[in-house]
Amino acid sequence: MNQPRPARINMVANTTLALQDADLQGALNHALVRFRRLRTDAAAEVPEWEALRDLAGEIKAHALAYLDVHLTQLESRIVALGGTVHWASDAVEARRIIADLVRTRGVRRVVKSKSMTTEEIHLNSALEAAGVAVVETDLGEYVLQLADEPPSHIIAPTIHKSVAAVSRLFSEKLGAPPLDDPEDLNRVARKALRTEFLAADMGITGVNFAIAETGTLVVVENEGNARLTTTRPRIHVAVMGIEKVLPRLADLGVLLRVLARSATGQRASVYVSMITGPRRPGESDGPEELHLVILDNGRTRLLADPDLRDSLRCIRCGACLNVCPVYERAGGHAYETVYSGPIGSVISPVLVGMPRASDLPFASTLCGACAEVCPVKIDLPRMLLELRARAVRAGFTGWVDRLFARGWTFAMSGPGRLRVVAGLGRLVQRLLVRRGRIERLPYPFAGWTAHRTAPPLAAHAFRDWWRSR
Amino acid sequence: MSRDQVLGRVRAALQPVHGATAPQSLGGWPSLPGPQVFTDPVSLFAERARAVGATVDLVASIDEAARQSAAWCATRAVRRAVVWNVASLAPVRDRLMADGIDMISPLLVPTRNWVDAVATADAGITSAEWGIAETGTLVLASGPDQPRLASLLPPAHLVVLRADRILPDLPALFARSDPLPSALTLITGPSRSADIGLVPVFGAHGPMAVAILVVTG
Amino acid sequence: MPGGAPGNSTPVALFVTCLIDQLFPSVGAATVRVLERAGCAVSFPDAQTCCGQPTFNDGFWADAAGLARRFLDVFADAPQIVVPSGSCAAMIREWYPRLLRDDPARAERARAIGHRTYELSEYLVRVLQLTDIGARFPAAVAYHPACHGLRGLHLREEPLALLREIRDLRLVPLPAAEECCGFGGFFAVKFSGLSGAMLEAKIRAIESSGAEVVTATDVSCLMHIAGGLTRRGSKIRVMHVAEVLAGI
Repeated sequence: MNQPRPARINMVANTTLALQDADLQGALNHALVRFRRLRTDAAAEVPEWEALRDLAGEIKAHALAYLDVHLTQLESRIVALGGTVHWASDAVEARRIIADLVRTRGVRRVVKSKSMTTEEIHLNSALEAAGVAVVETDLGEYVLQLADEPPSHIIAPTIHKSVAAVSRLFSEKLGAPPLDDPEDLNRVARKALRTEFLAADMGITGVNFAIAETGTLVVVENEGNARLTTTRPRIHVAVMGIEKVLPRLADLGVLLRVLARSATGQRASVYVSMITGPRRPGESDGPEELHLVILDNGRTRLLADPDLRDSLRCIRCGACLNVCPVYERAGGHAYETVYSGPIGSVISPVLVGMPRASDLPFASTLCGACAEVCPVKIDLPRMLLELRARAVRAGFTGWVDRLFARGWTFAMSGPGRLRVVAGLGRLVQRLLVRRGRIERLPYPFAGWTAHRTAPPLAAHAFRDWWRSR
Repeated sequence: MSRDQVLGRVRAALQPVHGATAPQSLGGWPSLPGPQVFTDPVSLFAERARAVGATVDLVASIDEAARQSAAWCATRAVRRAVVWNVASLAPVRDRLMADGIDMISPLLVPTRNWVDAVATADAGITSAEWGIAETGTLVLASGPDQPRLASLLPPAHLVVLRADRILPDLPALFARSDPLPSALTLITGPSRSADIGLVPVFGAHGPMAVAILVVTG
Repeated sequence: MPGGAPGNSTPVALFVTCLIDQLFPSVGAATVRVLERAGCAVSFPDAQTCCGQPTFNDGFWADAAGLARRFLDVFADAPQIVVPSGSCAAMIREWYPRLLRDDPARAERARAIGHRTYELSEYLVRVLQLTDIGARFPAAVAYHPACHGLRGLHLREEPLALLREIRDLRLVPLPAAEECCGFGGFFAVKFSGLSGAMLEAKIRAIESSGAEVVTATDVSCLMHIAGGLTRRGSKIRVMHVAEVLAGI
């Protein structure tokens, strides 16, 4: 099938736009400063926090090192419990598997709880095309679905919607009276979604962790909609990336201790559902059918890459996004990928390809704040640099960068050359230096002087001073 | 077949890591620290549970728990309740029935109407298998007489927890080798969300109120 | 007062870095003065140029590897190497072995050289075990912890320990000190909007601290911050830690 050449994501253009959106900047700053403080406080409460991070990282590294063993064990446990395991090579296949289930089981209404993996495979549009009504049940996602808008960013997807806007939306779409109290608006949404839960034939969720030893699927949340999604409908479909497997139940104890604190600063998320097979004989609720869809979709490329494999340790806590000074100003949309922020900048070039995502690893100062907070110790700055080198080797770099690299390497190839180039620079800069500074650098370096002055080359270099000492 | 494709790629990817054949024993597993030790896990549990918005009361006996449950139901004007049909909650159930509260039970309601019936309950009353002191978490197990929806659909959830079932932390829970139920649910406080207006609100989808009775005797 | 008594001197080779050499030579002179006051005999292998970080950071690893190999040759016989830059020291220690991964012999030399390469404040405090070199600098000073030194070399306490011993220096806390200033190498030009926004936040923090001087271990951050302050007509001075220690 011929696919059009994917458009390269232009991070420079996207971030420039984001910076011009004053409301977005204010909302992002407000939310992220708060999340950072919450995470710091929650981590500070645990004296052995750093040791815990080390351990969590080791557990995930070990899980990845024997992933095939753990995946097959997980599968056999789930099957023994009466569940079904499906394997999806890619997004197309994952959609087909779920669409087939919908068809063969006579499903007409689906409820979903928020899952990055289902966004990654573009599940909703496929289901709707199959004639199935799909309802997002996370409150924020529900609001956006009603408004037919995309999330404006991952942490607080409705951050761009004021309380008044939500009230108008609920009046229009749900017939609710005008309300100005968020509590009342929540009640309206809760009631509307209750009807959906009770009418749904199938519930679809993601998976935070899957325990190989016991065949247990773990879903973590605060609202309760994932619990409803996995309890009420007769069929539960869980979609999981291959890297979510943990070997032992004991490992979960460590990972859960670092997850909520890293994500939102809570000691624990409100609900952790540990699902071990479908409903058992004699039980009055729980799904009759449990299906697990194990998804590759490019993850094995990361797994096969010794320099990038550790990125699969990610437990999707969002701490790296919260702490990133670039994400704070760019917002999630600028990345144009399902996974944004530092972790997204690492995995997207591999998952969606360099032609599309080569810009992402360059949109960073490599400050390292992300690596400092990652609960499983992914060395994100190292990976960003590796990806930059690959982008250059593959030719995905601008002419300015190439020109700069050539020029720099030439100038620095020896003190003699450096003297010549610097001498030339001192001549040329006479045109630019006024009152001891440069106010405007010519293209393509004008970006520097858009925001700050540039220092001139010193009249005499250090090495000359040293020689005359 | 996709299974072969995916597993084949995984194996090929890991070949340099652990060799061409799958290992018989998985060497070098990270050793995990033991559970923490708290001098007063019951007080810590109460403090941490209250911090997330649950109410916690210590009672000396199950009969006292029954009295307090009745009082709780009265203040909330509970008329219909789902109560787990387990032996440990018998005194509570009896007391509430005596007070005229409608018990919604899967035994009495046709299966296809069960969920709708639970949805009309004013309260769900369950026991908890365990408590986790570090986080103020309740551990509930599903079972034939322990429906999951009891702690999920009604707007309020009352839990009876024995003090001697309070463990220090999650590692302590998972170090045990009890067989897992179809759903083991860890509950830490009332349901919450801050998606509308960034204002935190209780009772997003699950219960707005969680009341915990810790039986010390 | 620790002294550079003749005959007692620790030999160190100075890697002054490209930016200091060509743009801020006074920082290099101050570094020499500080090291001599601390009892070192400073040499300057004058074949040195650049550690390769600018091209490395932008993904041009073949170019950077060439400069890395050059560095290894220039400093092959050097005793301990002192660098008045956290990011260059981090480049040499953390990245040279990786850059030269396909050349095991050179990678080994790189590891060896990395073990004897130090950022200036790290050298004074951790190796020479000195925090007081008898300096005086009467001013309110804010310290900005440059990211590569902070997170790469774990340089958290050392510069502060030195600043605290300087007589008449009033160290003022810098709000959100550990947030990146927004330089990031070529990022400052390519993503100039983001860089400018981060710079603005850093400058607001500096201005709110009441500092008369802002200092750091890296001239890359400092020239970016100075450029912003100058553009705003600010009176706040920008100085490298070596200059503050030298009492200039």
